[in-house]
Amino acid sequence: MKPPPFEYEAPTTIQEVVALLQQHDGEAKILAGGQSLMPLLNMRFARPTALIDLGRMTDLDYIREENGAIAIGAMTTKRSVERSDLVKSRQPLLHASTTWIAHPQIRNRGTVGGSMAQADPAAEYPAVAVALDAEFVIAGPDGQRSVAASDFFITYLTTALKENEVLTEIRVPVLPERTGWSIQEVARRHGDFAMVGAVAILGLAGGSCESARVVLFGVGATPQRATSVEQALIGQAASEALFATAAEKAAEGLEDTISDVHASAEYRRHLAQVLTRRALAEAAERA
Amino acid sequence: MAVKIPNSIDELPTSSPRFIGHRVKRVEDTGLVTGRTEFIDNVSMTGMLHCAILRSPIAHAKIEKIDVSAALDLPGVVAVVTGEDAAKWSHPAASSPDGWGTYCLPADKVRFVGEPVAAVAATSRYIAEDALELIEIEYEPLDVVSDPVAAMEDGSPLVIEERGSNVMLQRVFNWGDTDAAFAAADHVFSEKFRWNRLGANPIETYGCISEWDPTELGITVRGAFQSPSHMALGRAMTFGLPSNKVRMIAHPHGGSFGGKGGVRGTDVSLLLSRKTGGRPIKWIEDRMEYLAAGGSQAWDRRYEFSIAVTNDGIVTGLKVKLVDDIGANGEGFGAISAAKPLAAFTGPYTIGAAQYDLSLVATNKAPASPYRGMGPPPHNFALEQMMDIAARSLGIDTAEFRRRNFIPKDAFPYIIPSGNEYDSGDYEAVLDKVLALSEYEKLREEQKLAREQGRLVGIGVASAIEPGVFDWNAYAVVGVQGTGVPEGATVSIDILGKVMVRVGFALEGQGQYTLVTQLVADYFGLEMEDVSVTMLDTASAPPAFGPGGSRLGVAITGAVLGACDRIRVKMCKVVAGLMQTEPENIQLMDGVFGIPGVSEAQMPMAQVAGTMLGASHLLPPDVDPRPEATHVWTAAGRTPVDEEGRTKSYLTAAHAVHIVLLEIDPDTGMVEIQKYVLVDDCGTRLNPATVEGQTQGSVAQGIGAALLEEYVYDEDGQLLTSTYMDYLLPTIHDVPALVMGEVVTPSPFSPLGAKGCGEGAIHTTPAAVMCAINDALVPLGTRANEVPAAPNRLWKLIHTARENTSSD
Repeated sequence: MKPPPFEYEAPTTIQEVVALLQQHDGEAKILAGGQSLMPLLNMRFARPTALIDLGRMTDLDYIREENGAIAIGAMTTKRSVERSDLVKSRQPLLHASTTWIAHPQIRNRGTVGGSMAQADPAAEYPAVAVALDAEFVIAGPDGQRSVAASDFFITYLTTALKENEVLTEIRVPVLPERTGWSIQEVARRHGDFAMVGAVAILGLAGGSCESARVVLFGVGATPQRATSVEQALIGQAASEALFATAAEKAAEGLEDTISDVHASAEYRRHLAQVLTRRALAEAAERA
Repeated sequence: MAVKIPNSIDELPTSSPRFIGHRVKRVEDTGLVTGRTEFIDNVSMTGMLHCAILRSPIAHAKIEKIDVSAALDLPGVVAVVTGEDAAKWSHPAASSPDGWGTYCLPADKVRFVGEPVAAVAATSRYIAEDALELIEIEYEPLDVVSDPVAAMEDGSPLVIEERGSNVMLQRVFNWGDTDAAFAAADHVFSEKFRWNRLGANPIETYGCISEWDPTELGITVRGAFQSPSHMALGRAMTFGLPSNKVRMIAHPHGGSFGGKGGVRGTDVSLLLSRKTGGRPIKWIEDRMEYLAAGGSQAWDRRYEFSIAVTNDGIVTGLKVKLVDDIGANGEGFGAISAAKPLAAFTGPYTIGAAQYDLSLVATNKAPASPYRGMGPPPHNFALEQMMDIAARSLGIDTAEFRRRNFIPKDAFPYIIPSGNEYDSGDYEAVLDKVLALSEYEKLREEQKLAREQGRLVGIGVASAIEPGVFDWNAYAVVGVQGTGVPEGATVSIDILGKVMVRVGFALEGQGQYTLVTQLVADYFGLEMEDVSVTMLDTASAPPAFGPGGSRLGVAITGAVLGACDRIRVKMCKVVAGLMQTEPENIQLMDGVFGIPGVSEAQMPMAQVAGTMLGASHLLPPDVDPRPEATHVWTAAGRTPVDEEGRTKSYLTAAHAVHIVLLEIDPDTGMVEIQKYVLVDDCGTRLNPATVEGQTQGSVAQGIGAALLEEYVYDEDGQLLTSTYMDYLLPTIHDVPALVMGEVVTPSPFSPLGAKGCGEGAIHTTPAAVMCAINDALVPLGTRANEVPAAPNRLWKLIHTARENTSSD
């Protein structure tokens, strides 16, 4: 478990990062915490010619509120997010989802940008980003662009980032009034990647579901919007019965459900329904 | 004069033991927590090279061609070895059963994914791994046999062609008239069980530094050996060397649990050392190598159990059919795990007749290895499920059902049908205590309420024996030879009365150096600091096996107390000479030799030692002037096997009853353990803190077995759980805080009355958790007979049961 030879770069500016990415012509990998990449290197599954370590990009380590969103620098650790009072008070779903991620040792090292760019379909952050309509700020040779979460996650471990681009910031909108949230997941052990997880965001007005966003993770190649669940909720009076009926639609539209040694596709589709129901009920309580 | 080894703490030469029986702090820990302890990977030697091993990606294939030229051309690479070198310089490994070993690097074909096929020695591990990618191998895939039942059929692909069959051993043992017991029974219950492959996962994998001596024609290996002497004998056989030319230097290691196999890697690195003219070769097994092909895998079993029961709830007969998937060869000695259940085949019960229909089968999977408990945990799991099935069918509470079948306390020593002798016990007292501690009646009331709410709450009560102090004869039925497992220690006292104890095993985590220190300090009235323990290599140590089979605590106690007694006898002679009396008149008490009641005739031990080593003119004639002695202890009364495999094997029989309260989420199949209470009886507790630690750890491993751990292979023999992402060990979140109690029934046979307790709760925990799961499932009319009870499996059972109910 030793990696093959690679060059090591430790840039300090975005311009340098982009230049290095171009120089290595798609063969470099960005190191942003290393909680997934280092094992892949050691197992020789990843074979980059160079590692571009963002560890010295201290200006990408921040959490601040700007224009109704929480802006998080890509190199902010998950532990910083977990401990941020701003996140706790203004975007509690992001806080709660962070506590589901692995263990403190990993959250001390792993970064928000690293997790998003890794795009593991069973990870919490990508699902939360999709549920919250987060915006991804990306730097490249032509300057800066931003991509909506729904367009960022393309497929398994693949994002909208081009080979010469780097993710610099994630902007997570704060929740509107009377909007409740929930994240539920089932993992073999606490801290494991979810077999299935569900994120629900529910806006209530006069006891009726005004807005609904349900995202499932661990079921397919990317976080999946459960649009038929959402549609079944809108305009309906919130109730346990409604949530149960709507949640039955959670497995609809799931394509290529993952099946592995821990969970069959059938079991995952069932869990999607159970967790959707539980997430909706909890979100309604919080709304 | 025979050496006197006290059978109880009261017989020690101290008026009040200060250390033995007390929760003393471990002497091992300072080095561990400060990082001073020298693990093998910390060691570097002059001229040392690093080994990396190329492993088969295919489960079964002919090796058509190996080309190592490109690897040899890589700068930094010094040597490459393949099956050709193994055939030239070594023999197939020893195995159980005999004749099922293979070369450490095969020349003809590979038999499992992860099997070594070539190895590189280079100036760094990085370069060595780079070089592996340059070795070209042509394989011709063969049909894979991954299912042991299919492997037993005629016409199955053969794992080792020369054997003519994949059946390594097939035998039916009959102990007592089992058929008559079943014919006479009021009820017969039968069930099939599946225990999936799991195994040892110590925090440190195996590692070694191997040296071939081209002038002496011998070998020296430093490494993480659980049993250096055993490893040395094996290497002598493999390399065709006289045993006195093989020296093993054990280093402290991060646990073993039976997983410090390392035979292949040791042999491969020795070949590399020979090929490089004797350079030291370091091989550190990485975690992926460990999981796929190390000492990691054990107990891959398909069981059929039947029990014969009377209307009164007395179990009179037991039939067990086992197909045990041993994997690609017998070099891991996994077969002995199928033999050990003979030492406690009928558990803590009076079951009078038993039958064991045993098949050991070879498949294209990693060879099975030992694992803590060594085989009985799956057997106990199945037996305890049978007890519950019978109890429920007869309407008897599961705790009460066990009580009715317990061996009564006045029946010891008690010989079970499979031949082993249980030394002592009071099983009802253990049960009573655990029922009280758990508030069992209240738990059953709570369960009743929960069931009324439709919740799946279960209570498991399981009881098992932990055979302690293993003996080779326990494994005779799978071809292991010998009776008795000697363990030696040398106690040396210096001129100032300070003590050095030399033993033949390295630190592994169980705290035996602390135990040695406690024993000597109390024996000679010293402080713990006055006693040091050091390890000798196989060239200088007394006969020793080391830890294994819940043995070392008892065995080393015997060895140390024997050596202390030999010194006491010598010192009594010296003191008697000085005091002009007979040695019989001299007594040792609280560190002072003297004539009892005569205050002026007293001599502290240090003064006696000082006289022996520094005042020879005062010594009586014919006295050996060394305040030093070696004693080699072995369990008395062990017997060779008879024609039915019966033998007195394990010296002690510890006992425990566990009670588990858990709840299953019916929608997800997830299990939450809410309460875990246990009471155990391992005789005299020499260091209660260590006993507790062993229990806590073995409960964790038992929970892992019941709920999490599983090596999954697909039908092509590919391991699907090759990292800790998928092979799931229990973490602190999965293991509940334990409520523990004790009953102490000293062993009449062992030093200080202690019973082996190192394997501990793993004998009982999987059974207890599965009993609780099945108790929770009772309202649904379904059962979980497969371990681990993973959530997808439980959900499927629950889902199917509900569908059947709704369609009725």
